[in-house]
Amino acid sequence: MSFEMPDFTPAIPEIFILCMACFILVADLFVSDDKRVITYLMSLATLVVAAMITINLHSTETVYTFSGTYVKDAMSDVLKLFIYLITAVVFVYSRGYLSERNLFKGEFYVLGLFGVLGMMIMVSAHNFLTIYLGLELLSLCLYALVALQRDSIFASEAAMKYFVLGAIASGLLLYGMSLLYGVAGTLDITTFSNVITANNLTGGEYSTVLALGMVMVIVGIAFKLGAVPFHMWVPDIYHGAPTAVTLYIGSVPKLAAFALIMRLLVEGLGELHAQWQDILIIMAILSMGLGNIVAIAQANIKRMLAYSTISHVGFLLLGILAGTKEGYSAAMFYTIVYTIMTVGGFGMVLLLSRAGFEADKLDDYKGLNERSPWSAIMMLILMFSMAGVPPTIGFYAKFSVIEAIINVDLIWLAAIAVIFSVIGVFYYIRIIKLMYFDKPLDTSPITSTPDMRLILSLNSLAVLALGIFPGSLLAVCVAAIT
Amino acid sequence: MGFEQIVFYIFSAILVFAAGMVISVRNPVFAALFLVLAFFTSAVIWILLEAEFLALTLVLVYVGAVMVLFLFVVMMLDINLAVLKRGFRRYLPVGFVVAFIMIVQLVLIVGPEQFGLDKVESPTPRAADYSNTEELGRVLYTVYVYPFEIASVILLVAIIAAIALTLRKRKHPRFMSPEQQIKVRREDRLRIVKMKSETKL
Amino acid sequence: MVENYLPILVFIVLGILFGIAPILAGYMMGPSKPDSVKLSPYECGFEAFEDARMKFDVRFYLVAILFIIFDLEIAFLFPWAVVLDEIGMFGLVAMAVFLGILVIGFIYEWKKGALEWE
Repeated sequence: MSFEMPDFTPAIPEIFILCMACFILVADLFVSDDKRVITYLMSLATLVVAAMITINLHSTETVYTFSGTYVKDAMSDVLKLFIYLITAVVFVYSRGYLSERNLFKGEFYVLGLFGVLGMMIMVSAHNFLTIYLGLELLSLCLYALVALQRDSIFASEAAMKYFVLGAIASGLLLYGMSLLYGVAGTLDITTFSNVITANNLTGGEYSTVLALGMVMVIVGIAFKLGAVPFHMWVPDIYHGAPTAVTLYIGSVPKLAAFALIMRLLVEGLGELHAQWQDILIIMAILSMGLGNIVAIAQANIKRMLAYSTISHVGFLLLGILAGTKEGYSAAMFYTIVYTIMTVGGFGMVLLLSRAGFEADKLDDYKGLNERSPWSAIMMLILMFSMAGVPPTIGFYAKFSVIEAIINVDLIWLAAIAVIFSVIGVFYYIRIIKLMYFDKPLDTSPITSTPDMRLILSLNSLAVLALGIFPGSLLAVCVAAIT
Repeated sequence: MGFEQIVFYIFSAILVFAAGMVISVRNPVFAALFLVLAFFTSAVIWILLEAEFLALTLVLVYVGAVMVLFLFVVMMLDINLAVLKRGFRRYLPVGFVVAFIMIVQLVLIVGPEQFGLDKVESPTPRAADYSNTEELGRVLYTVYVYPFEIASVILLVAIIAAIALTLRKRKHPRFMSPEQQIKVRREDRLRIVKMKSETKL
Repeated sequence: MVENYLPILVFIVLGILFGIAPILAGYMMGPSKPDSVKLSPYECGFEAFEDARMKFDVRFYLVAILFIIFDLEIAFLFPWAVVLDEIGMFGLVAMAVFLGILVIGFIYEWKKGALEWE
């Protein structure tokens, strides 16, 4: 294999995040506990500067470097910008919660930043090897973050489950990749796809091997996404992890998981679309069904949001399985909207929690309107958006994926999706009922920092504003998919 | 059947046996030792595949280091065997069914039907002076430099995670600082109190 | 290439034979009349009090895992050292970056006190 000097320019954001994460890691050692806020501010500044670099480097053309293991295209730039944005919001929301629980340590931010690096690597990967390494880097950070609260048995149990299931998923993904390598003899995604097309391998004697490799890869992806029937870990981990970590796990990695699907299934295995479409249809129906129905039975809001995540994953898969450019941009739009809504939803849980009180039961939301009308309105907007009620962005997200599958003549599937989303409205509305029509059980004042209040309000208002003017974000997503 | 094939079958048989023992023996220490055997036999199979560097790394890193860690963990945890084995019998039938389906699938898919010697001819053996390590080195640090650097970041995160999760500071460390011991002066330790001699009542 | 490993295979086989043969010979030829007293564990004339295995301190584990990480790092150095003359300056810098990232980890564990034994 010939080697030419790689061009480092496209990878400057990754290099910057790496350098800053290392710098913060070392700098944090010299910061005393009462000045830990310095670490926090440096982490936020890192994300802001990285965003500026990414915007500066942005171009619509696709650039490959590092011998084709790295790709920078419109999709990767957009996803990276949202990764920075959502992670920064996560950092802002979690500060109060962490410091009340003696978790306000440099490691949280350093692991968070390394997780961001892992996601950026996944988003920009153009080789099975890089995809896998990025995924492992992200997963390793997430396992450690879940276990960070060492004295909590729930967190340790959640970390253990997450680690074991995550390792199995990575193993399956890797096995699938090795079978695909066995068929095509290359790890490079474009070359792989070309080899499959050129040698007509989908129908040849290696078609079964190819299919098994594809199934293994899909299982690995489904585990990471939390799609039914590989969803078992989601509620337990969301519930057991400290809420600040749940906020992180529940939101940003879904952007990277979307990129994982795009790189592996669409770019790599695009030729096998007819085969993976059927698998994804089954997973999407099961996810939407199980997620929305089981969420009704939950008494804990973290578990409820976990099942809500599972149902959203089902909707996300709808966009992918459509197999059209329109469907992919709808799925991307859905993923971005999902992260914005989820980060707001868990942000509300963090807002209501205080030292020694988690605010994770549905009963804790009773009479929120009496305690804090503004918080209740914000929660109302977020719940309406997750349910997909019209003037909010959640409606347009659901609308665009359903439109995409109707355009490929899967009208029955669209009907199922609508039915399940109507069922889902029930448990979101129940929270609104609790907030507005019940008497509060707990009347202590809500304490939070002004920066968190401000960002959370902006978060919820953005959900509303984007719902009224969805065009710009949708246009970004359409432009990102080439 | 060539000599290499005989070696392959012997060592694969040992590998499958060892892997089976890992999950079925009662004593976790034996399980760890059988895992060593499994790693070792897979290293032999990798050598047959001419992947000598990876085979030696497997022995050095896994057998030499990772298994020591495994044994540590097995000994460190006070494992209650009865609790560990409780679900075993109950889930055994389901496990067998799943394993059986997997084996049938794999035999059908990667078996001789697809990858038999008549379908894919075996590569010509390399010359005696061929070095797999050199071949690996030529691409790992140039073509695959990006994954290579990511690997180091993963190792860094592993260091951070291991320390963040297991390091506990003792409240009263019994750590002695020679520097401070040497610096001690008589005045720090000894106090001469002048007292009047007491008179007998 | 594989033929280079034939002596090692022979060595392994001989090693196993020499290890097993004496044990087997002793087992087959020696008299064996076990009874319950002979088979019971002996501890200075007392019944055994507890399990012979005892818990390790978690710090041993930390040292072991830190060792493994640097052990893996060394494994990456071998192929690099073999071809350093071919991959030139680029390979040198690539390894410098690799080691640099791990040195950050080393500084971290040093300053954090993970290497101290209290």
